[in-house]
Amino acid sequence: MDWEAYLAAVAPAVGLPVDPGWRGGIVRFLGLAAEMAATLDAVALADDHLELDAVLVLQEARHD
Amino acid sequence: MTDPTGPWASATDIADAVSRGSVRAVAVAEAALARIGAANPALGAYTDVTAERTLAMAAAVDEAVAAGRPVGALAGVPFAVKNLYDVAGLPTRAGSKINRERAPAASDAVLVQRMGAAGAVLLGTLNMGEYAYDFTGENAHDGPCRNPHDPDRMSGGSSSGCGVATAAGLAPVSLGSDTNGSLRVPASLCGVFSLKPTYGRLPRTGTFPFVDSLDHLGPFARTARDLAAAYDVLQGPDAGDPGCARRPREPAAPALAARRRLRVGLLDGWFYENAGEQARAAVAGVADALAPHADVDALRLDEAEAGRAAAYLVTNAESADFHLRRLRARAADFDPDTRDRFLAGALLPAAWVARARRVRHWWLERALAAFQRFDLLVAPATPCPAPAGGATVLALAGRTLPLRPSLGLLATPFSCIGLPVTTAPVFGEGRMPIGVQLVARPWREDVCLQAAHLLERAGAAAACPPVASRLRSDAA
Repeated sequence: MDWEAYLAAVAPAVGLPVDPGWRGGIVRFLGLAAEMAATLDAVALADDHLELDAVLVLQEARHD
Repeated sequence: MTDPTGPWASATDIADAVSRGSVRAVAVAEAALARIGAANPALGAYTDVTAERTLAMAAAVDEAVAAGRPVGALAGVPFAVKNLYDVAGLPTRAGSKINRERAPAASDAVLVQRMGAAGAVLLGTLNMGEYAYDFTGENAHDGPCRNPHDPDRMSGGSSSGCGVATAAGLAPVSLGSDTNGSLRVPASLCGVFSLKPTYGRLPRTGTFPFVDSLDHLGPFARTARDLAAAYDVLQGPDAGDPGCARRPREPAAPALAARRRLRVGLLDGWFYENAGEQARAAVAGVADALAPHADVDALRLDEAEAGRAAAYLVTNAESADFHLRRLRARAADFDPDTRDRFLAGALLPAAWVARARRVRHWWLERALAAFQRFDLLVAPATPCPAPAGGATVLALAGRTLPLRPSLGLLATPFSCIGLPVTTAPVFGEGRMPIGVQLVARPWREDVCLQAAHLLERAGAAAACPPVASRLRSDAA
Protein backbone atom coordinates (compact mmCIF):
# COMPACT_ATOMS: atom_id res chain seq x y z
CA MET A 1 0.00 0.00 0.00
CA ASP A 2 1.30 3.45 -0.91
CA TRP A 3 0.52 5.33 2.29
CA GLU A 4 2.17 8.49 0.95
CA ALA A 5 -0.41 8.59 -1.84
CA TYR A 6 -3.23 7.76 0.59
CA LEU A 7 -2.17 10.57 2.88
CA ALA A 8 -1.99 13.04 0.00
CA ALA A 9 -5.49 12.06 -1.13
CA VAL A 10 -7.34 11.81 2.18
CA ALA A 11 -5.87 14.58 4.36
CA PRO A 12 -7.48 17.37 2.29
CA ALA A 13 -10.83 15.56 2.46
CA VAL A 14 -10.67 15.66 6.25
CA GLY A 15 -9.43 19.24 6.21
CA LEU A 16 -6.06 18.46 7.77
CA PRO A 17 -3.08 20.59 6.83
CA VAL A 18 0.02 18.38 6.77
CA ASP A 19 3.47 19.93 6.97
CA PRO A 20 5.90 18.07 4.69
CA GLY A 21 8.10 17.41 7.70
CA TRP A 22 5.35 15.42 9.38
CA ARG A 23 4.58 13.10 6.47
CA GLY A 24 7.13 10.44 7.37
CA GLY A 25 5.73 10.06 10.89
CA ILE A 26 2.13 9.98 9.71
CA VAL A 27 2.92 7.37 7.06
CA ARG A 28 4.69 5.26 9.68
CA PHE A 29 1.64 5.32 11.94
CA LEU A 30 -0.72 4.57 9.04
CA GLY A 31 1.41 1.51 8.34
CA LEU A 32 1.22 0.47 11.99
CA ALA A 33 -2.56 0.91 11.95
CA ALA A 34 -2.71 -1.27 8.84
CA GLU A 35 -0.85 -4.00 10.72
CA MET A 36 -3.45 -3.78 13.49
CA ALA A 37 -6.26 -3.92 10.93
CA ALA A 38 -4.71 -7.05 9.42
CA THR A 39 -4.68 -8.69 12.85
CA LEU A 40 -8.38 -7.89 13.21
CA ASP A 41 -9.12 -9.13 9.73
CA ALA A 42 -7.78 -12.54 10.70
CA VAL A 43 -10.39 -12.92 13.44
CA ALA A 44 -13.23 -15.17 12.31
CA LEU A 45 -16.27 -13.08 13.23
CA ALA A 46 -19.77 -14.31 12.49
CA ASP A 47 -21.03 -12.93 9.17
CA ASP A 48 -24.71 -13.02 10.04
CA HIS A 49 -24.92 -10.63 12.98
CA LEU A 50 -23.25 -7.55 14.41
CA GLU A 51 -21.67 -7.34 17.84
CA LEU A 52 -20.69 -3.72 18.18
CA ASP A 53 -19.22 -2.96 21.58
CA ALA A 54 -21.15 0.20 22.36
CA VAL A 55 -24.93 0.33 22.42
CA LEU A 56 -26.76 3.54 23.21
CA VAL A 57 -28.82 3.05 26.36
CA LEU A 58 -31.56 5.61 26.77
CA GLN A 59 -32.58 6.82 30.19
CA GLU A 60 -36.09 7.74 31.20
CA ALA A 61 -36.87 11.31 30.22
CA ARG A 62 -36.79 13.73 33.12
CA HIS A 63 -39.86 15.89 33.67
CA ASP A 64 -39.27 18.94 35.78
CA MET B 1 5.37 2.82 62.31
CA THR B 2 7.64 5.00 60.19
CA ASP B 3 7.86 8.73 60.86
CA PRO B 4 4.57 10.08 59.45
CA THR B 5 6.34 13.16 58.15
CA GLY B 6 8.98 11.09 56.34
CA PRO B 7 9.02 10.21 52.63
CA TRP B 8 8.16 6.52 53.07
CA ALA B 9 5.31 6.79 55.56
CA SER B 10 2.26 4.92 54.34
CA ALA B 11 -1.00 6.77 53.80
CA THR B 12 -2.77 4.62 56.38
CA ASP B 13 -0.06 5.31 58.97
CA ILE B 14 -0.26 9.05 58.29
CA ALA B 15 -4.05 9.03 58.60
CA ASP B 16 -3.84 7.05 61.82
CA ALA B 17 -1.28 9.42 63.36
CA VAL B 18 -3.14 12.56 62.27
CA SER B 19 -6.51 11.23 63.45
CA ARG B 20 -5.07 10.44 66.89
CA GLY B 21 -3.46 13.86 67.07
CA SER B 22 0.05 12.47 67.41
CA VAL B 23 1.21 14.48 64.40
CA ARG B 24 -0.25 17.57 62.79
CA ALA B 25 -1.44 17.39 59.20
CA VAL B 26 0.33 20.70 58.64
CA ALA B 27 3.66 19.14 59.66
CA VAL B 28 3.09 16.26 57.21
CA ALA B 29 2.19 18.72 54.45
CA GLU B 30 5.16 21.01 55.13
CA ALA B 31 7.54 18.07 54.98
CA ALA B 32 6.01 16.88 51.71
CA LEU B 33 6.27 20.36 50.17
CA ALA B 34 9.91 20.61 51.24
CA ARG B 35 10.72 17.27 49.58
CA ILE B 36 9.00 18.34 46.38
CA GLY B 37 10.97 21.58 46.36
CA ALA B 38 14.22 19.67 46.72
CA ALA B 39 13.61 16.74 44.34
CA ASN B 40 11.23 17.98 41.68
CA PRO B 41 13.70 20.02 39.60
CA ALA B 42 15.62 16.81 38.88
CA LEU B 43 12.63 14.50 38.46
CA GLY B 44 10.03 16.67 36.70
CA ALA B 45 7.08 15.01 38.42
CA TYR B 46 5.04 18.07 39.42
CA THR B 47 3.85 20.73 36.99
CA ASP B 48 2.00 22.81 39.61
CA VAL B 49 2.44 22.79 43.38
CA THR B 50 -0.58 24.18 45.25
CA ALA B 51 1.33 25.05 48.43
CA GLU B 52 -1.08 27.68 49.79
CA ARG B 53 -4.06 25.40 49.29
CA THR B 54 -2.11 22.43 50.67
CA LEU B 55 -1.43 24.15 53.95
CA ALA B 56 -5.00 25.44 54.22
CA MET B 57 -6.43 21.96 53.70
CA ALA B 58 -4.02 20.50 56.24
CA ALA B 59 -4.87 23.21 58.79
CA ALA B 60 -8.57 22.43 58.37
CA VAL B 61 -7.88 18.77 59.19
CA ASP B 62 -5.90 19.77 62.29
CA GLU B 63 -8.74 22.03 63.41
CA ALA B 64 -11.22 19.18 63.07
CA VAL B 65 -8.98 16.85 65.07
CA ALA B 66 -8.48 19.48 67.78
CA ALA B 67 -12.24 20.08 67.97
CA GLY B 68 -13.00 16.40 68.22
CA ARG B 69 -14.93 16.42 64.96
CA PRO B 70 -14.82 13.30 62.76
CA VAL B 71 -12.10 13.25 60.11
CA GLY B 72 -12.01 11.07 57.04
CA ALA B 73 -10.20 7.83 56.35
CA LEU B 74 -7.32 9.70 54.70
CA ALA B 75 -6.95 12.49 57.26
CA GLY B 76 -3.83 14.49 56.48
CA VAL B 77 -2.63 12.19 53.68
CA PRO B 78 -0.85 14.18 50.97
CA PHE B 79 -1.84 13.33 47.41
CA ALA B 80 -1.37 14.68 43.91
CA VAL B 81 -3.19 14.25 40.60
CA LYS B 82 -2.27 13.87 36.94
CA ASN B 83 -2.74 17.24 35.30
CA LEU B 84 -5.79 16.11 33.34
CA TYR B 85 -7.82 16.32 36.57
CA ASP B 86 -9.56 19.64 37.13
CA VAL B 87 -8.13 21.52 40.10
CA ALA B 88 -9.91 24.74 40.92
CA GLY B 89 -7.82 27.73 39.89
CA LEU B 90 -5.56 25.87 37.46
CA PRO B 91 -5.98 25.35 33.71
CA THR B 92 -6.37 21.63 33.03
CA ARG B 93 -3.40 21.25 30.73
CA ALA B 94 -3.62 17.49 30.05
CA GLY B 95 0.06 17.53 29.21
CA SER B 96 -0.48 19.87 26.27
CA LYS B 97 0.65 23.33 25.28
CA ILE B 98 -2.75 24.20 23.82
CA ASN B 99 -4.81 23.47 26.93
CA ARG B 100 -2.84 25.70 29.21
CA GLU B 101 -4.52 28.62 27.48
CA ARG B 102 -7.86 27.41 28.86
CA ALA B 103 -9.56 29.27 31.67
CA PRO B 104 -8.69 27.94 35.12
CA ALA B 105 -10.99 25.19 36.32
CA ALA B 106 -13.88 26.54 38.39
CA SER B 107 -14.06 23.47 40.60
CA ASP B 108 -12.23 20.24 41.36
CA ALA B 109 -12.78 16.96 39.56
CA VAL B 110 -15.16 14.69 41.47
CA LEU B 111 -12.36 12.35 42.56
CA VAL B 112 -10.32 15.28 43.89
CA GLN B 113 -13.40 16.37 45.84
CA ARG B 114 -13.80 12.87 47.27
CA MET B 115 -10.17 12.74 48.37
CA GLY B 116 -10.62 16.10 50.07
CA ALA B 117 -13.81 14.94 51.77
CA ALA B 118 -11.84 12.00 53.17
CA GLY B 119 -9.33 14.42 54.70
CA ALA B 120 -6.57 14.04 52.10
CA VAL B 121 -4.48 17.09 51.31
CA LEU B 122 -3.76 18.09 47.70
CA LEU B 123 -0.11 18.84 46.92
CA GLY B 124 -0.47 19.73 43.25
CA THR B 125 -0.74 18.42 39.71
CA LEU B 126 1.57 16.01 37.94
CA ASN B 127 3.34 15.79 34.60
CA MET B 128 1.94 13.47 31.93
CA GLY B 129 2.25 12.56 28.27
CA GLU B 130 0.45 14.97 25.98
CA TYR B 131 -3.31 14.29 25.94
CA ALA B 132 -2.48 10.92 27.57
CA TYR B 133 -1.25 9.45 24.25
CA ASP B 134 2.00 8.13 25.64
CA PHE B 135 3.72 5.23 27.35
CA THR B 136 7.18 6.81 27.81
CA GLY B 137 6.85 9.69 30.30
CA GLU B 138 8.40 12.15 27.87
CA ASN B 139 6.75 15.48 27.15
CA ALA B 140 8.02 18.14 24.75
CA HIS B 141 6.35 20.98 26.67
CA ASP B 142 7.08 20.16 30.31
CA GLY B 143 10.17 17.98 29.93
CA PRO B 144 10.56 14.31 30.71
CA CYS B 145 9.52 12.67 33.94
CA ARG B 146 12.64 10.93 35.19
CA ASN B 147 12.62 7.52 36.80
CA PRO B 148 13.61 7.94 40.47
CA HIS B 149 15.42 4.57 40.42
CA ASP B 150 17.62 5.74 37.53
CA PRO B 151 17.03 9.25 36.18
CA ASP B 152 18.51 8.26 32.82
CA ARG B 153 15.59 5.89 32.28
CA MET B 154 11.95 6.42 31.38
CA SER B 155 9.24 6.72 34.00
CA GLY B 156 6.57 5.27 31.75
CA GLY B 157 3.36 7.08 30.87
CA SER B 158 1.06 8.57 30.41
CA SER B 159 0.55 8.94 34.19
CA SER B 160 4.27 9.58 34.41
CA GLY B 161 4.25 12.12 37.23
CA CYS B 162 2.09 9.80 39.33
CA GLY B 163 4.55 6.93 39.06
CA VAL B 164 7.51 9.19 39.80
CA ALA B 165 5.94 11.16 42.66
CA THR B 166 4.72 8.06 44.46
CA ALA B 167 7.95 6.11 43.91
CA ALA B 168 10.17 9.02 44.96
CA GLY B 169 8.44 9.74 48.27
CA LEU B 170 6.78 12.91 46.94
CA ALA B 171 3.16 11.71 47.37
CA PRO B 172 2.10 8.50 49.10
CA VAL B 173 -1.02 8.45 46.93
CA SER B 174 -1.55 9.87 43.45
CA LEU B 175 -4.43 9.71 41.00
CA GLY B 176 -3.93 8.94 37.33
CA SER B 177 -5.79 7.62 34.32
CA ASP B 178 -5.55 4.59 32.08
CA THR B 179 -6.86 4.24 28.54
CA ASN B 180 -4.49 1.58 27.25
CA GLY B 181 -2.11 1.06 30.17
CA SER B 182 -1.32 4.48 31.63
CA LEU B 183 -1.85 3.43 35.24
CA ARG B 184 0.06 0.19 34.74
CA VAL B 185 3.09 1.14 32.63
CA PRO B 186 4.39 3.86 35.01
CA ALA B 187 3.62 1.65 38.03
CA SER B 188 5.70 -1.08 36.40
CA LEU B 189 8.63 1.12 35.43
CA CYS B 190 8.70 3.11 38.69
CA GLY B 191 8.01 0.17 41.01
CA VAL B 192 4.77 1.11 42.77
CA PHE B 193 1.25 -0.32 43.03
CA SER B 194 -1.65 0.92 40.93
CA LEU B 195 -5.28 -0.03 40.50
CA LYS B 196 -7.14 0.29 37.24
CA PRO B 197 -10.70 -0.41 38.36
CA THR B 198 -13.45 -1.87 36.20
CA TYR B 199 -14.52 0.44 33.36
CA GLY B 200 -17.37 2.52 34.75
CA ARG B 201 -16.45 2.08 38.41
CA LEU B 202 -15.03 5.55 39.14
CA PRO B 203 -16.57 8.75 37.77
CA ARG B 204 -14.46 10.78 35.37
CA THR B 205 -16.39 13.99 35.96
CA GLY B 206 -14.05 16.95 35.76
CA THR B 207 -11.21 15.25 33.91
CA PHE B 208 -10.00 15.94 30.39
CA PRO B 209 -10.87 12.95 28.17
CA PHE B 210 -8.67 10.96 25.85
CA VAL B 211 -10.89 8.11 24.56
CA ASP B 212 -14.24 8.14 26.32
CA SER B 213 -15.03 4.50 25.56
CA LEU B 214 -11.73 3.36 27.12
CA ASP B 215 -10.84 5.96 29.76
CA HIS B 216 -10.47 4.79 33.37
CA LEU B 217 -9.26 6.65 36.48
CA GLY B 218 -7.47 5.10 39.42
CA PRO B 219 -4.92 5.44 42.23
CA PHE B 220 -1.19 4.76 42.70
CA ALA B 221 0.26 3.90 46.12
CA ARG B 222 3.30 2.26 47.72
CA THR B 223 1.33 -0.46 49.52
CA ALA B 224 -1.69 -2.55 48.64
CA ARG B 225 -3.40 -1.34 51.82
CA ASP B 226 -2.95 2.30 50.80
CA LEU B 227 -4.20 1.48 47.33
CA ALA B 228 -7.38 -0.07 48.75
CA ALA B 229 -7.87 2.82 51.20
CA ALA B 230 -7.67 5.38 48.39
CA TYR B 231 -9.86 3.32 46.06
CA ASP B 232 -12.53 3.00 48.73
CA VAL B 233 -12.93 6.74 49.21
CA LEU B 234 -13.06 7.27 45.43
CA GLN B 235 -15.95 4.88 44.79
CA GLY B 236 -19.58 5.72 44.11
CA PRO B 237 -21.63 6.83 41.11
CA ASP B 238 -21.83 10.35 39.77
CA ALA B 239 -24.40 11.63 37.32
CA GLY B 240 -21.80 13.82 35.63
CA ASP B 241 -20.20 10.82 33.92
CA PRO B 242 -22.64 8.89 31.72
CA GLY B 243 -20.12 6.04 31.56
CA CYS B 244 -20.11 5.59 35.34
CA ALA B 245 -22.12 2.61 36.54
CA ARG B 246 -24.80 3.21 39.14
CA ARG B 247 -23.27 0.81 41.59
CA PRO B 248 -23.04 1.41 45.30
CA ARG B 249 -19.66 1.54 46.98
CA GLU B 250 -18.18 -1.92 47.55
CA PRO B 251 -15.31 -1.37 50.02
CA ALA B 252 -12.24 -3.42 49.16
CA ALA B 253 -10.02 -2.73 52.16
CA PRO B 254 -11.88 -5.17 54.45
CA ALA B 255 -11.30 -7.93 51.87
CA LEU B 256 -7.51 -7.53 51.80
CA ALA B 257 -6.89 -10.24 54.35
CA ALA B 258 -9.47 -12.65 52.90
CA ARG B 259 -8.32 -16.24 53.12
CA ARG B 260 -10.25 -17.60 50.14
CA ARG B 261 -8.19 -19.86 47.91
CA LEU B 262 -7.79 -18.33 44.49
CA ARG B 263 -7.75 -20.08 41.14
CA VAL B 264 -4.90 -18.37 39.29
CA GLY B 265 -4.21 -18.51 35.56
CA LEU B 266 -0.67 -17.66 34.46
CA LEU B 267 -0.95 -16.22 30.98
CA ASP B 268 1.27 -18.17 28.64
CA GLY B 269 1.47 -18.11 24.84
CA TRP B 270 1.27 -14.59 23.38
CA PHE B 271 1.89 -12.97 26.77
CA TYR B 272 4.99 -15.10 27.39
CA GLU B 273 6.32 -14.64 23.88
CA ASN B 274 6.06 -10.84 24.21
CA ALA B 275 7.77 -10.67 27.60
CA GLY B 276 11.47 -10.17 28.14
CA GLU B 277 13.57 -12.18 30.55
CA GLN B 278 12.96 -9.97 33.59
CA ALA B 279 9.21 -9.84 32.98
CA ARG B 280 9.06 -13.63 32.78
CA ALA B 281 11.10 -13.95 35.97
CA ALA B 282 8.77 -11.55 37.79
CA VAL B 283 5.70 -13.59 36.82
CA ALA B 284 7.44 -16.80 37.90
CA GLY B 285 8.26 -15.26 41.28
CA VAL B 286 4.66 -14.15 41.73
CA ALA B 287 3.43 -17.64 40.82
CA ASP B 288 5.73 -19.19 43.41
CA ALA B 289 4.50 -16.80 46.09
CA LEU B 290 0.84 -17.42 45.24
CA ALA B 291 1.17 -21.19 45.04
CA PRO B 292 0.68 -21.94 48.77
CA HIS B 293 -2.56 -19.93 48.71
CA ALA B 294 -3.92 -20.73 45.27
CA ASP B 295 -4.41 -23.31 42.56
CA VAL B 296 -2.07 -22.08 39.85
CA ASP B 297 -2.24 -23.26 36.26
CA ALA B 298 -1.04 -22.01 32.89
CA LEU B 299 -3.52 -20.51 30.46
CA ARG B 300 -3.29 -19.37 26.84
CA LEU B 301 -5.43 -16.40 25.96
CA ASP B 302 -3.89 -15.47 22.64
CA GLU B 303 -7.02 -13.62 21.50
CA ALA B 304 -5.48 -10.77 23.52
CA GLU B 305 -3.39 -9.89 20.47
CA ALA B 306 -6.55 -9.03 18.55
CA GLY B 307 -7.91 -7.21 21.60
CA ARG B 308 -4.80 -5.09 21.66
CA ALA B 309 -5.15 -4.33 17.94
CA ALA B 310 -8.80 -3.38 18.45
CA ALA B 311 -7.88 -0.99 21.27
CA TYR B 312 -5.15 0.55 19.12
CA LEU B 313 -7.55 1.43 16.30
CA VAL B 314 -10.43 2.56 18.53
CA THR B 315 -7.99 4.77 20.43
CA ASN B 316 -6.39 6.17 17.29
CA ALA B 317 -9.70 7.02 15.62
CA GLU B 318 -11.72 8.19 18.62
CA SER B 319 -8.97 10.41 20.03
CA ALA B 320 -8.22 11.93 16.62
CA ASP B 321 -11.88 12.82 16.21
CA PHE B 322 -11.91 14.39 19.68
CA HIS B 323 -8.92 16.55 18.77
CA LEU B 324 -9.86 17.17 15.12
CA ARG B 325 -10.46 20.91 15.44
CA ARG B 326 -7.17 21.31 17.32
CA LEU B 327 -5.39 19.22 14.69
CA ARG B 328 -6.82 21.33 11.89
CA ALA B 329 -5.98 24.65 13.50
CA ARG B 330 -2.92 24.03 15.67
CA ALA B 331 -1.18 20.80 14.74
CA ALA B 332 2.19 22.55 15.04
CA ASP B 333 1.50 23.17 18.74
CA PHE B 334 1.21 19.45 19.50
CA ASP B 335 4.10 17.43 20.89
CA PRO B 336 5.71 15.97 17.74
CA ASP B 337 5.66 12.55 19.36
CA THR B 338 1.86 12.55 19.61
CA ARG B 339 0.94 14.77 16.66
CA ASP B 340 1.80 12.35 13.87
CA ARG B 341 -0.14 9.52 15.50
CA PHE B 342 -3.19 11.74 16.06
CA LEU B 343 -3.03 12.88 12.42
CA ALA B 344 -2.83 9.28 11.21
CA GLY B 345 -5.83 8.43 13.40
CA ALA B 346 -7.95 11.06 11.67
CA LEU B 347 -7.37 9.32 8.35
CA LEU B 348 -8.18 5.68 9.15
CA PRO B 349 -10.66 3.79 6.94
CA ALA B 350 -13.99 3.61 8.78
CA ALA B 351 -14.31 -0.14 8.16
CA TRP B 352 -11.16 -0.76 10.24
CA VAL B 353 -12.62 1.05 13.21
CA ALA B 354 -16.03 -0.63 12.94
CA ARG B 355 -14.34 -4.01 12.85
CA ALA B 356 -12.23 -3.06 15.87
CA ARG B 357 -15.42 -2.45 17.83
CA ARG B 358 -16.77 -5.87 16.85
CA VAL B 359 -13.50 -7.62 17.74
CA ARG B 360 -13.48 -5.84 21.08
CA HIS B 361 -16.77 -7.53 21.93
CA TRP B 362 -15.47 -10.88 20.62
CA TRP B 363 -12.36 -10.59 22.82
CA LEU B 364 -14.44 -9.70 25.88
CA GLU B 365 -16.49 -12.91 25.49
CA ARG B 366 -13.34 -15.00 25.31
CA ALA B 367 -11.74 -13.34 28.30
CA LEU B 368 -14.90 -13.76 30.37
CA ALA B 369 -14.95 -17.46 29.47
CA ALA B 370 -11.51 -17.78 31.09
CA PHE B 371 -12.99 -16.57 34.37
CA GLN B 372 -15.18 -19.67 34.50
CA ARG B 373 -11.97 -21.53 35.39
CA PHE B 374 -9.99 -18.78 37.13
CA ASP B 375 -10.48 -15.98 39.67
CA LEU B 376 -7.30 -14.17 38.74
CA LEU B 377 -5.10 -13.88 35.66
CA VAL B 378 -1.41 -12.98 35.94
CA ALA B 379 0.75 -11.36 33.24
CA PRO B 380 3.62 -8.87 33.08
CA ALA B 381 2.58 -5.22 33.02
CA THR B 382 5.33 -4.29 30.56
CA PRO B 383 7.58 -6.39 28.35
CA CYS B 384 10.69 -4.99 30.06
CA PRO B 385 11.80 -2.64 32.84
CA ALA B 386 12.36 1.05 32.15
CA PRO B 387 14.11 1.70 28.81
CA ALA B 388 16.71 4.43 28.47
CA GLY B 389 15.32 7.94 28.12
CA GLY B 390 14.93 8.96 24.48
CA ALA B 391 14.84 5.37 23.19
CA THR B 392 12.58 4.93 20.16
CA VAL B 393 12.66 1.19 19.55
CA LEU B 394 12.01 -1.88 21.67
CA ALA B 395 13.87 -5.13 21.00
CA LEU B 396 11.53 -7.97 21.83
CA ALA B 397 11.57 -11.66 20.93
CA GLY B 398 13.93 -11.09 18.02
CA ARG B 399 11.91 -8.20 16.62
CA THR B 400 12.51 -4.48 16.69
CA LEU B 401 9.28 -2.64 17.53
CA PRO B 402 8.45 1.08 17.77
CA LEU B 403 8.78 1.75 21.49
CA ARG B 404 6.13 4.41 22.01
CA PRO B 405 3.10 2.25 21.08
CA SER B 406 4.67 -1.05 22.19
CA LEU B 407 5.56 -0.41 25.82
CA GLY B 408 1.91 -0.98 26.74
CA LEU B 409 1.55 -4.05 24.58
CA LEU B 410 0.70 -6.41 27.45
CA ALA B 411 -1.51 -3.95 29.33
CA THR B 412 -3.77 -2.78 26.50
CA PRO B 413 -5.82 -5.99 26.07
CA PHE B 414 -7.32 -5.65 29.56
CA SER B 415 -8.28 -1.97 29.42
CA CYS B 416 -9.78 -2.71 26.00
CA ILE B 417 -12.47 -4.75 27.78
CA GLY B 418 -12.53 -2.84 31.06
CA LEU B 419 -11.33 -5.57 33.44
CA PRO B 420 -9.98 -4.52 36.87
CA VAL B 421 -6.19 -4.80 37.22
CA THR B 422 -3.81 -4.21 40.10
CA THR B 423 -0.17 -3.75 39.16
CA ALA B 424 2.23 -5.14 41.77
CA PRO B 425 5.91 -4.08 41.73
CA VAL B 426 8.68 -6.68 41.70
CA PHE B 427 12.28 -5.72 42.42
CA GLY B 428 14.89 -8.26 41.43
CA GLU B 429 18.18 -8.08 43.32
CA GLY B 430 20.08 -5.08 41.97
CA ARG B 431 17.67 -4.55 39.10
CA MET B 432 15.15 -1.99 37.98
CA PRO B 433 11.57 -2.79 39.03
CA ILE B 434 8.94 -4.33 36.80
CA GLY B 435 5.22 -4.74 37.43
CA VAL B 436 2.97 -7.78 37.30
CA GLN B 437 -0.69 -7.43 36.38
CA LEU B 438 -3.27 -9.12 38.60
CA VAL B 439 -6.48 -9.22 36.55
CA ALA B 440 -9.94 -10.15 37.86
CA ARG B 441 -13.41 -10.46 36.38
CA PRO B 442 -15.51 -7.28 36.14
CA TRP B 443 -16.33 -5.54 39.44
CA ARG B 444 -13.98 -7.77 41.48
CA GLU B 445 -11.32 -5.22 42.37
CA ASP B 446 -11.31 -6.87 45.79
CA VAL B 447 -9.74 -10.00 44.26
CA CYS B 448 -6.96 -7.98 42.56
CA LEU B 449 -6.23 -6.16 45.80
CA GLN B 450 -6.35 -9.33 47.91
CA ALA B 451 -3.73 -10.90 45.63
CA ALA B 452 -1.54 -7.79 45.74
CA HIS B 453 -1.71 -7.74 49.53
CA LEU B 454 -0.89 -11.44 49.69
CA LEU B 455 2.17 -10.94 47.46
CA GLU B 456 3.30 -8.04 49.62
CA ARG B 457 3.04 -10.12 52.80
CA ALA B 458 4.95 -12.92 51.11
CA GLY B 459 7.74 -10.49 50.18
CA ALA B 460 7.23 -11.11 46.46
CA ALA B 461 6.02 -7.59 45.67
CA ALA B 462 6.87 -4.28 47.33
CA ALA B 463 7.62 -0.67 46.53
CA CYS B 464 11.24 0.05 47.46
CA PRO B 465 12.81 3.47 48.01
CA PRO B 466 15.11 4.47 45.15
CA VAL B 467 18.71 3.46 45.73
CA ALA B 468 20.53 4.04 42.47
CA SER B 469 23.73 2.45 43.68
CA ARG B 470 22.20 -1.01 43.99
CA LEU B 471 21.23 -1.13 40.32
CA ARG B 472 23.20 -3.32 38.01
CA SER B 473 24.50 -1.54 34.97
CA ASP B 474 22.98 -4.16 32.69
CA ALA B 475 19.38 -3.53 33.80
CA ALA B 476 17.63 -3.28 30.43
